[in-house]
Amino acid sequence: MSDIAIRCENTGKKFCKSLKKSVLYGGMDILCSTLGVIPDSGILRQDEFWAIENADFEIKRGESFGIIGPNGSGKTTLLKLLNGIFMPDRGKVTVEGKVGALIHVGAGFHPMLSGRENIYINGSIIGMSKREIDRKFKIIVEFADIGDFLDSPVKNYSSGMYVRLGFSIAVHSEPEVLLIDEILAVGDKEFQIKCYQRMNEIRKKGTTIILVSHNEYAVRENTSRCLYLDHGKQRFIGPSEEAISMYIKEAYEHRLEHEKDRSSFCAVKRKSAEIIGLKLLNNRGEQINFIETGAFLSMVIELNVHEKIDKPIVGVNFYNGDGLVYAANSYYEQVDISPFSAGKQIIHISIPQFHLPTGDYLCSVVVAQEQATNLVDWHDMSYKLIVGRAPNARGLLKLQTQWKF
Amino acid sequence: MFQELFQFRELICRLFIRDFSAKYKQSLLGNLWSLVMPLAAIGTFVYLGRAGIINIQQTQMPYPLYALIGLSIWQIFATGLNSGANCLVGAGDLITKVSFPREVIIIASMAQSVLEFLVKFVLIVAFFLIFRFCPSWKIIFFPLMLLPLMFLTVGLSLILSLLNGVMRDTANVVSLLLMFLMFLTPVLYPIPVNNHLFFELNFLSPLINAPRDLIAFGHIRQPVLFFIASSLSILVFLVSWRIFHLAETKIPERL
Repeated sequence: MSDIAIRCENTGKKFCKSLKKSVLYGGMDILCSTLGVIPDSGILRQDEFWAIENADFEIKRGESFGIIGPNGSGKTTLLKLLNGIFMPDRGKVTVEGKVGALIHVGAGFHPMLSGRENIYINGSIIGMSKREIDRKFKIIVEFADIGDFLDSPVKNYSSGMYVRLGFSIAVHSEPEVLLIDEILAVGDKEFQIKCYQRMNEIRKKGTTIILVSHNEYAVRENTSRCLYLDHGKQRFIGPSEEAISMYIKEAYEHRLEHEKDRSSFCAVKRKSAEIIGLKLLNNRGEQINFIETGAFLSMVIELNVHEKIDKPIVGVNFYNGDGLVYAANSYYEQVDISPFSAGKQIIHISIPQFHLPTGDYLCSVVVAQEQATNLVDWHDMSYKLIVGRAPNARGLLKLQTQWKF
Repeated sequence: MFQELFQFRELICRLFIRDFSAKYKQSLLGNLWSLVMPLAAIGTFVYLGRAGIINIQQTQMPYPLYALIGLSIWQIFATGLNSGANCLVGAGDLITKVSFPREVIIIASMAQSVLEFLVKFVLIVAFFLIFRFCPSWKIIFFPLMLLPLMFLTVGLSLILSLLNGVMRDTANVVSLLLMFLMFLTPVLYPIPVNNHLFFELNFLSPLINAPRDLIAFGHIRQPVLFFIASSLSILVFLVSWRIFHLAETKIPERL
């Protein structure tokens, strides 16, 4: 056995935008392969596009590998290629070993049947024998932790319970390659943590893990290398942190473009000032989008002021999935910013110890006049910051402590 | 291909048990539902015959029994084909998310219609008692005689389910055709004496008549025809399986 678990060689997969044409092409392809004619699948026909254009990479046994990219960039398609559900239209995909896929947890769950029955069905769908399931049944149930619901029909399950059960079956099927597609988001925090722990455990046993997620924090924490996909193109492959940085930077640029469009759209009501951008800097003055919790953070807001603003208010808000976590706001902190005169204006906010818990954050920048609600311009959730674990710390935060003996 | 199927036999069983135990989960009559259609059809034909609207020729056994056996055999083919044509699309959720040989789904759905036949067979035995009809001892070969029809059903299902994956019209056309085909095949009536060429060309008729003859007479009346039809069925099955195998990789993305 080689130490390469997955190899994609110049792999491409095309899809058709028009349903009617797709029917036609599908029929033609089936007819051709029946007659033994191999159609030239490397050519795009009308309305077709490459969902995956040129994936070309290798993943080692026991490696944990992330796939990131914006929505519609082909992440799931790539997983389906790796799983053998789709056949590549060009190039080659080689996967060694038994593949466990969490592309959709609980595939084949029948809503009318009980959790117990479904464990057996789903288990055999993902390739476990009855004896194997019998043996692992207890652990699966224990891990899923669905309590009394085991014997009630799956249709009565909450979506979280559904995921728990599905995930539990998949990770206990002892796959050699585990593909995970953005599913843990449904479970509660406690279960998510349990899942990542379990993932790390099986990785240590030699399972290759491929994780697709929009949670950059989770990807960074749980993978060593990443593939950054954009519109089916392989943009970058390498250390997770670099890949994520690049992705965030490009997403930011895209966002800014969008923001500009919006501003020009809103230009009817002429604004007295315009936000040019927000820069997040570390203590060395380098622009960052990753910070360790508790480290120094400096924020630089650039403005283009058209008309004089007498009592300006400036704020930066940090959001995570739960909502607003923290806002640095001159109004609430009762900082009187001196009036803005027309021209370029730069505001520095520095936070010596940035103590937000680890995770993904989106930042908004707001400029208002006199009252916090009287907005002049704003960039809504346009910037991304990942807060990572501090060295010598456990948990989400690092706090200053004093010890006495 | 055979090896692959053997490897996945457990999955076939599971899917079969799943569909079977889920099918009638929220119904009162449960599996008895599969008896309703044949009883209603036979009742109608008996009435039409008595009322003189249609003229059914004399059969070798009591007519209701004759019709029931015919209809039960026919329905292996009809329900098998109907659910077979639909099953790939119906299992779309599974197909687009998990990788396994797709034949498994069709075989599991075929098993469903065989099971329904077994339920009907209980009714057939009840009819034997009611009409005091003693079948020939050769009835033990009866299951063997049904095999060609099953091969034909699976074979056609493989092709039709592929087609249905690409064009959803297929399933509708199939159920429509099956309805007419039933009346054009000697299922509910014996082959008319003076007009038998058409029925001999319909190669479904020996497949249905032969097993029934076996029960009625203890021998097959048209062994050559049955042999030809059986060979054709197996040929259809093998060719379709090959085509299915070649085309199945194209299916997930069309569902």
